[in-house]
Amino acid sequence: MRILRERAVEESLLALDRAWSEEATFAFLSQKSTVDEGWVERALAALPEALRRGHFALSTSGSTGHPKLVLGARSRAEHLADVLHEIQEGEPVQETILALPLSYCYAFVNQWLWARRRARRLVATEGFGRPDRLLRALVDSERAMICLVAAQLPLFARHFAQEAFPGVLRVHFAGGPFPQRELEAVRRRFPHATIFNNYGCAEAMPRLALRRGEEGESPSDVGRPIPGVELATGPGGELLFRSPFGALACFEGGPSWRFFCGEEWIPTGDLGRLAPSGRFELQGRANQVFKRYGEKIALAQVLETVGGCFGGQAQAYRERDRMAEEGYVLVLSPEPRAEELRAILSAFRALYPRAQWPLRIESSATLPCLPNGKLDVAALAQLPGKTIHWRNRI
Amino acid sequence: MSNLEQLKQLILDTFLLDPSEFRLDLRREEVETWDSLGVVSLAVGVHETFGYHFTPEEATGLESVQDVVRILESKGIPFHE
Repeated sequence: MRILRERAVEESLLALDRAWSEEATFAFLSQKSTVDEGWVERALAALPEALRRGHFALSTSGSTGHPKLVLGARSRAEHLADVLHEIQEGEPVQETILALPLSYCYAFVNQWLWARRRARRLVATEGFGRPDRLLRALVDSERAMICLVAAQLPLFARHFAQEAFPGVLRVHFAGGPFPQRELEAVRRRFPHATIFNNYGCAEAMPRLALRRGEEGESPSDVGRPIPGVELATGPGGELLFRSPFGALACFEGGPSWRFFCGEEWIPTGDLGRLAPSGRFELQGRANQVFKRYGEKIALAQVLETVGGCFGGQAQAYRERDRMAEEGYVLVLSPEPRAEELRAILSAFRALYPRAQWPLRIESSATLPCLPNGKLDVAALAQLPGKTIHWRNRI
Repeated sequence: MSNLEQLKQLILDTFLLDPSEFRLDLRREEVETWDSLGVVSLAVGVHETFGYHFTPEEATGLESVQDVVRILESKGIPFHE
C-alpha cells in the first residue's frame, strides 16, 4: 500500500493515474495537510486483507478541522462518476478545468475520475495560486466544466474583473452553501453554463444530492438525492444518508477503522428537512445549532440574514460569554461600510430576540481557508488584526 | 467624546437603534429591545463606560434615557456642561 502526497499538479496526475491502475490500496493526501504520514501508515496497516487491494483513502478535515481518512472502493467511485456524468448532462463537455486541490474528494471524483472514465481532457491549473494560468485555461476553454467552491467567487472578482468565459458549459459548486445571491453574477461570468449545486460529505465520497442553480431560491436548498442515494432526517433533525457510493470505513485517530455495513444511516453532519417541494433543505451544521438563554440559535440562518445586508463574506465562531453561556461571534470580511453595519444591526433588532444576537461583530481583511477552499472556522477566533465593530454586553 | 455622546453611543449599541431615533426623552415603552436582558446589558454598559453600578432598583426602575442621565448626574457624572 502506498501513500501519495499531493505535489505539483502534473506530477500528482501522473502518480494518481499509476496508482489507480495498480492493484494496491493507496492513500492520497493533500499537499497542505498536516496529517502525519506515520499516522496514515498505521491506518493503512490496520486495514483488513480484503481492503488492501482495489480501494483508496482520502484525507479530509472537512469543516471540523479534525483530520480524518475515508476509505472508498474504486468501483464505487467509478460508478458515481458515471452517474454524475448522466445527471449533470456531461456528454457535451469535452474538458474539465481543475481549479481546486486534486486531493479534495469533490475534484477527485467530479473531475479527475470523471475525465479518466469518459476519456475527457483534464486541464490542470493551480487555481488562484496562479491566477494567470487559470485565466488562460478559462479563456481558451471549449465545452468545458469547472468545479468551484463559493469562497472562490470573491477571487474571480478580484483577479478577473468582468471577464466572461463562454467556453464553460457546466459550473459546479459544492463544499458549502450554494452562492444563491451571486447566481446572476455567476451567470454573467459563465454565460453558456448550466450551474449546479452539489451536496455531500466526506463519508459520502462525496455526492448525495444535486440541483440546478435556478431550481431553488435559498442557499440551504440542496435539491434531491442522486439516483441510488437515500436521505432522511433523524429524530433530532440530523440529516442522514445511505449510499451505494459512500465510504466503506473511516479512520479518525484509531486504533481501528470504523466500518460501515451499508445498511446503517450515516450522519452527514448537517441538520435538514424534507421541504414540500420534495427537495432537502439544510438547517445548519449539527454542531452549529445551540441554545442561548433558552433561545435556539441556528448559525446558518443568522448568516443568511447577514448575507442579505452585507456584500462581503460572513462567518461565525462559537464562544462563551462572561456567564459561561454559549454564544457566537460574527466575523465579516472585508470591513463593513457604516450603512451595512447599521443594516445588520437593524436586522438583528427586527428578526431576532436579544439572546440570539452575536457576542461581537468583528471584521477582517480576509478570512482563513482550509486547503480544500472551505472557510477555516476553527482559525477564526485566533485570527490576528480583527476590528471589533459592535459588542453585546450580556 | 463628551459624556452625552458616550451615553448616546451606549444606548444605540445596547438597543440597536438608528442614530436618528435617539432622544433624551426616549422612553422604555418606545423601544422594543429595552427588555429585561436589555436592562442588564444597559447596566453593564453604564458600569463599563461611567464606572457606576446601578442598584437593581435603579436598573429596573429606568423608564427613559433621561432617568439614566438623572441618576448618573446625582453621582457626580455631569451631562450638562
